[in-house]
Amino acid sequence: MTDESNSASLTQPGASLGGGGSTGKENHILSFIKDNATLIALFALVIAFSFADDAFFTARNLSNLSRQVTIIGIIAVGMTMVILIAGIDLSVGSVVGLSAVVCTLLLQAGLSVWVAIPLTLLIVGGGIGLWNGYWVAKFNIPPFIITLGMLTIARGLALTLSGGSAIPVTDSVFPIFGGAYIPPMASGVVLGVFVILSVFSVFRQVQQNRQYGIAVNKRELITNALVLIGGFALAFYVFTGYRGIPMPVAIFAFIAFAGVYILNNTRFGRRLYALGGNEDAARLSGINVFKTKMTVYTTISVLAALSGILLASRLNGASPNLGIMFELDAIAAVVIGGTSLAGGSGRVGGTVIGALLIGVLNNGMSLLGVVTFYQLIIKGLIIILAVWFDVIQKRK
Amino acid sequence: MSEVVLKMHNIIKDFPGVRALNNVNFEARSGELLALMGENGAGKSTLMKVLSGVWPYPTYEGDIYIKGDRKRFANTKEAEDAGIAIIYQELNLIPGLTVAENIFLDRQFVDRFGKIDWQRTYSEAQKLLDDLGITDFKPTDMVQNITVGKQQMVEIAKALSINAEILVLDEPTSALTDKEVKDLFRIIRKLKNDNVCMCYISHKMEEIEQIADRVVVLRDGQTIGDVTPIGDITLDQIIVRMVGRDIKDMFPKKQMERGAASLEVKNLSVSNPDVPGTYKVKNASFTAYKGEILGISGLMGAGRTELVEGIFGAYPQQSTGEVLLNGVKLDIKSPKDAIDSGIALLTEDRKALGLFLNESISFNTTISSLETVSSKILGIINESKERQIVGEYVRQLGVKTPSIDTLIGTLSGGNQQKVVLGKWLNSKPEVFILDEPTRGIDIGAKVEIYKLLNYLVDQGVTVIMISSELPEILGMCDRILVLCDGVIVSDFERNKAKKETIMAYATGSAKGRAK
Ligand SMILES: Nc1ncnc2c1ncn2[C@@H]1O[C@H](COP(=O)(O)OP(=O)(O)OP(=O)(O)O)[C@@H](O)[C@H]1O
Ligand SMILES: [Mg+2]
Repeated sequence: MTDESNSASLTQPGASLGGGGSTGKENHILSFIKDNATLIALFALVIAFSFADDAFFTARNLSNLSRQVTIIGIIAVGMTMVILIAGIDLSVGSVVGLSAVVCTLLLQAGLSVWVAIPLTLLIVGGGIGLWNGYWVAKFNIPPFIITLGMLTIARGLALTLSGGSAIPVTDSVFPIFGGAYIPPMASGVVLGVFVILSVFSVFRQVQQNRQYGIAVNKRELITNALVLIGGFALAFYVFTGYRGIPMPVAIFAFIAFAGVYILNNTRFGRRLYALGGNEDAARLSGINVFKTKMTVYTTISVLAALSGILLASRLNGASPNLGIMFELDAIAAVVIGGTSLAGGSGRVGGTVIGALLIGVLNNGMSLLGVVTFYQLIIKGLIIILAVWFDVIQKRK
Repeated sequence: MSEVVLKMHNIIKDFPGVRALNNVNFEARSGELLALMGENGAGKSTLMKVLSGVWPYPTYEGDIYIKGDRKRFANTKEAEDAGIAIIYQELNLIPGLTVAENIFLDRQFVDRFGKIDWQRTYSEAQKLLDDLGITDFKPTDMVQNITVGKQQMVEIAKALSINAEILVLDEPTSALTDKEVKDLFRIIRKLKNDNVCMCYISHKMEEIEQIADRVVVLRDGQTIGDVTPIGDITLDQIIVRMVGRDIKDMFPKKQMERGAASLEVKNLSVSNPDVPGTYKVKNASFTAYKGEILGISGLMGAGRTELVEGIFGAYPQQSTGEVLLNGVKLDIKSPKDAIDSGIALLTEDRKALGLFLNESISFNTTISSLETVSSKILGIINESKERQIVGEYVRQLGVKTPSIDTLIGTLSGGNQQKVVLGKWLNSKPEVFILDEPTRGIDIGAKVEIYKLLNYLVDQGVTVIMISSELPEILGMCDRILVLCDGVIVSDFERNKAKKETIMAYATGSAKGRAK
């Protein structure tokens, strides 16, 4: 048996699109743009906003921006995993609201932060995640439906528990998680350590590739190096220039790195790609589909709950309406980052860039005083554009 | 002598890291069937994709002449307009539509208002079927309700509906029953009479003898020898052209001592979820021993695949019965349980059930045994260990690929199969069940696989092989089970089995359980 039709469709240039580009004479610049479209778009946006408004490229504004990104970013890391296995989770926004409400209520009831936070993660995050996962994994009900139901249920619970009104927090420790900064000096040291670590890891990668006889892709290497250098330079500028690394940014960075590592380097990560790529083959290859799905849906709920807690901490209180529409921003970040909604392909790194892009867009447009209504329209268009670009690029 | 309708001249086609076609030259005439032979990865399918516009000009070099005119197709539509139709082994029909709708898929007959003219659609389709002498299904039948063999006929009707003068058939018989193959050959003969030129790819030598007029061989992307009339060349000579050497022993069977009972299956039944109360497999009981290859024969649809998938835990809700390994009862509720107990199953449907097409060779090789390349506790993958193990299998099995990072979807069918074999070997099974392991595999590689089976048996692995090819079953198996309508109807020792008796049991004309 040959798999002609599919091997054709994998790389086949769309019939009407004409020539494919395997001749090696392709325009280098063009293919560079294609490979790094999201990154370039991000870069272009930053430059455009910097010129348009002096207040944009300041340590203070960028520090705020980074903090704004984290809430969606943390959820988006989980969403990457869910979408990778060809699922979706629409309930995350409501989970944010519910966990904020539950956590603040627990604090009001006099529990210490160290009890209230884990308890919220466990009950709200774990509970809802297991519920979603069970329906999806056990009964094969489309995740769209199950999580859509949970979107309403969790929001309803948040409204019920809070009585529909905001809950203030008086605890003195709680605001630290979402509001505090790692002092500039310490931040500098942390960043320095990271620079060394990443230089080391890039170096190791190159060395390994050489050892395995994989041709080192020079262009990719240079791009990566530039992104790393640029990223760290920017981070130094922002975080040592304004109060240090915000706590939630540190937490997000940790989660993002963990996400990248898990997807690239662990059995669990492999199984996600397998499950998203071909569920039947995954099952017949001995992958415990039930357990894997349960884990993924639980992970994203716990991450959403964490986001809710960080948000409540920053606001020093909760309102049952927190997190409305967050699911859409998270999904947008994932998709802009190049993860396929069909499952089986995607990276957390792309998602982070996607989240940054949305963050920059939100922040820049607000600075420029673009009317919120227009902001929505522009954001929507950008999402469509990003996905369209991804689609035509993959078809080539 | 009939007219040369197709000429491909100095065709070169490169993929990243591979030159799939390297100066291919051949010509084909109207009214003939030209067999295109060659090992897995030789470039046969690629050549036909160049011809049919899947790979448009200028992604290849060289020239294509149709009836003497140079053609440079920009897409498949242009090739179709030039009278070229291609039938892929993976059929491209839409299951939820009728036969007629599929035949005229993007060229429906419509009336003035754009409404589909059903009358005409059905009658034109019927005309095509009549032309082909097809009587056992109707234009109004739903494609999903007819067998694969008949679906193939629909593809042919579709090709004729565009008045194809050149028809490419890429491994058309690999999923057909014997009877369906006969029907197909009858139609092919008729098409020859109608002056259609056919390019036919197959790994089945005996078919070539039956229907080819001339043969051309590809090896490593090059034409070896000229286009040769089938009367002027023996099968052995074709094989030499294909693999570059003689194959003396097609079935290198090694006789071994039968060992202890290994896998015992007792009263295994698999119910048919579509028709409650009926069974796909009914009360199957058998024992497989160490030191032997157990063959499972039967017609397509006899329940062979369901039997082994049932053992493997693929249908936990539908199957009942007992499975014992080395005398110990196993509790298999999922394929994972089966794998953990030391059973491996190479599935028949490679694309749907065996492969992760968007992933690398490396990924595909280790996915069912990630434990062997990762740390126990956190499951962190040891990349260098993985590369080493995968590299070893690629070398051992002779997978033709530029690197282990190559996407498996870009490999030729036969090479994909070798990777799947590697995947199961790496799970170090005690019982290795192979469902049609040599389907789509070239002759040289088949012999390699047989040798591998011998080696595994020698290592104490219990091997069970399902195959539709009787010579293979007779040549390699020590004992042969025959399935008919979900029931094991006989159980032959190797030396007592004959082709005719097996067929008689498989078709249900002989009854009872022979020993
Ligand atoms: N889309 C593709 N991208 C990269 N390489 C490809 C692609 N399609 C085919 N190849 C490579 O081209 C070579 C020829 O493949 P092809 O599918 O034509 O072989 P084949 O003769 O049809 O083999 P088989 O008998 O196994 O079907 C192989 O090395 C294959 O890996
Ligand atoms: Mg092929």
